[in-house]
Amino acid sequence: MTGIRSLERPVAVAPVAEAAKGRVLSLRWVVRLLSLGLVAAAWQVLTTVDARIGVNFDRLPSPSEVVQEFAQQLATSVYYLDLAQSVIRIVTGFGLAALAGIGLGVLVARSQWAADLLLPPLEAVRPIPAIALVPIAILIFPGDEQGIVFITTAAAFFPIFVSTRHAVRALPTLWEDAVRTLGGKRRHVLWHVVLPGALPGIFGGLSVGMGVAWICVISAEMISGELGIGYRTWHAYTVVDYPAVLVGMASIGVLGWLTSAAVELLGRRLTRWLPRAEGSLRWASR
Amino acid sequence: MGIALTLERAGFGYAGSPVIRELDLTVEAGEFLVIVGASGSGKSTLLRGLAGLLVPYEGKVLADGTPFDGPSAERAMVFQEDGLLPWRSVRRNVELPLKIRGEARSSRRARAEEWIERVGLAGFEDRLPRELSGGMRQRVQLARTLVAAPGAVLMDEPFGALDVQTRAEMQRLLREVLATTGATVVFVTHDVDEALLLADRIVVLSRTGPKIVSRPTRERILEEL
Repeated sequence: MTGIRSLERPVAVAPVAEAAKGRVLSLRWVVRLLSLGLVAAAWQVLTTVDARIGVNFDRLPSPSEVVQEFAQQLATSVYYLDLAQSVIRIVTGFGLAALAGIGLGVLVARSQWAADLLLPPLEAVRPIPAIALVPIAILIFPGDEQGIVFITTAAAFFPIFVSTRHAVRALPTLWEDAVRTLGGKRRHVLWHVVLPGALPGIFGGLSVGMGVAWICVISAEMISGELGIGYRTWHAYTVVDYPAVLVGMASIGVLGWLTSAAVELLGRRLTRWLPRAEGSLRWASR
Repeated sequence: MGIALTLERAGFGYAGSPVIRELDLTVEAGEFLVIVGASGSGKSTLLRGLAGLLVPYEGKVLADGTPFDGPSAERAMVFQEDGLLPWRSVRRNVELPLKIRGEARSSRRARAEEWIERVGLAGFEDRLPRELSGGMRQRVQLARTLVAAPGAVLMDEPFGALDVQTRAEMQRLLREVLATTGATVVFVTHDVDEALLLADRIVVLSRTGPKIVSRPTRERILEEL
C-alpha cells in the first residue's frame, strides 16, 4: 500500500548523537543561568557603590535587600491575600472576557444580522483603552471590586473577540461542506468544525487577552483597590518602601508568566493536530 | 440501496453568474455515472448542485422523485482535497457521520473500524490526517463517506491529486467497495481513461452543453469535449 511504508519510523537515532545533543542542551542551560547571575551581580555592585552614571542606582534597593524583603513578606498572610485577590480578579475578568469574546466572535463571523447589530457599538468602543474606562466603572458600579473586574474584562475582551472573528471567517469552506454532506446541521457544523477549527486563532487572542488583562488589573488596583498585588506595590511606593515595590513587581511578573503559560499549555494541548514547524519543535524541546 | 437523482431544467451558478443552465439529467439508482469535462466546464458546480450545496436558480433537483434544496447524508460527497477534519483521528473522522446521526458510541466505533479495515487502513486508526499520505487520506475519506451507507456518493475528482500508481490502487479499491454497497455514484473527472475504466455511463460536459456518450471510446469522448 502506497504511503504506509513512508510512515514507518526511521531507524533509532544513534545514541552517540543523542548524548551530544544532551551535552549541548546542558551547556545552553549553564549559559542561561550564568547570564541571569551576571545581571544580578552587576545590579548588586551598582547599588552597593551607589553608582550615579547617568542612571542613578543610589536609591534603588539591591538584590539582597529585595530577597530579604521577599522572605519577610512570605511570612505574612497579607502577601497571600493580595496574591489571591489579584488572581480572583484575573480569573473572573478573563473568564468573562473569554466567554463573551469567543461567543460573540463566533456569532458575528457566522451571522450577517448579528454582525450588523453588534459590530457598530463594539467597534465604537474598541479604540478606547480599557484603563480609560475607569471613570465609567466608578460611575456605574457601586463597589471597587466590580469596577476592577469590569476593566479587566473590557481589556481582555477585544483581543479575544477580534481573533475569534478572524479565525472563524478564515476557516476553509471545505470542512463545513464535508460535514453538511455527511448530514450535519448548523449545530454540528458549529461544534465539529467552527470551534475546533478556530481554536488556534482563539488561543492567539486568549494569550494577548491574558497579557492586557494583567496590565489593566494591576493599573486598576493601583487606582482604586484595597487589596491585591497592584495596590500593595503602589502603597509600598507611596511609603517609600522600595524593596517592597520590587517584590510586588517580581510577584506580578511571576503571576503573569504562570497564567500566560497556563493558556499557552492549554492551547498546545488542544491544537496538537496542527503541523509544527521545525522551529516550533525546537522551542517545544527546550 | 442506491437512489435516483434527477435534474429538471436545472441551473446553477455563483453570485448571479450562471455556470450550468437548463440541464436535464437522470442518474439511475445504483448507476455509476461519470461526468467528464475540461476545466471550467461546470463539473464541480453540477456535483455541488446534486449534493445540495448549491440551490438551483432555475428548475428542480430531485432525489427518488422528491425535490430537495439542501445537503443530506443520503447524498454524501468525496472532495478532491480530502475534507478530513485535521483535529480528528482516522477513527474519529470515519465515525463522524454516525455520531451526527446519533448512533451509540460502541456501535459507531465497530462500524468505523470495519470500514477502516475494508479500505486497508487497519492499524492507522489513531493517526491524524497530517500523518498520512494523500492516497491514505482519500481512503479515509472513502470510508467516512460509505460508513453511513448513503444512497448516492458524489465524487469530485477524488484521485486528481494522486500519483499514477496510487490512483490505480484507489480506482480498484473504489470498484471493490462500491460493488458491496449498491450506492448510486456520480464521479467527476477530467481523465478520459479513468472515466472509461469506472463508468456504467459517461456524460461529457462540453461548452455546448452535456452529451451522453453511447458506446464510449477514448476518441468519441475527446471528440465531444
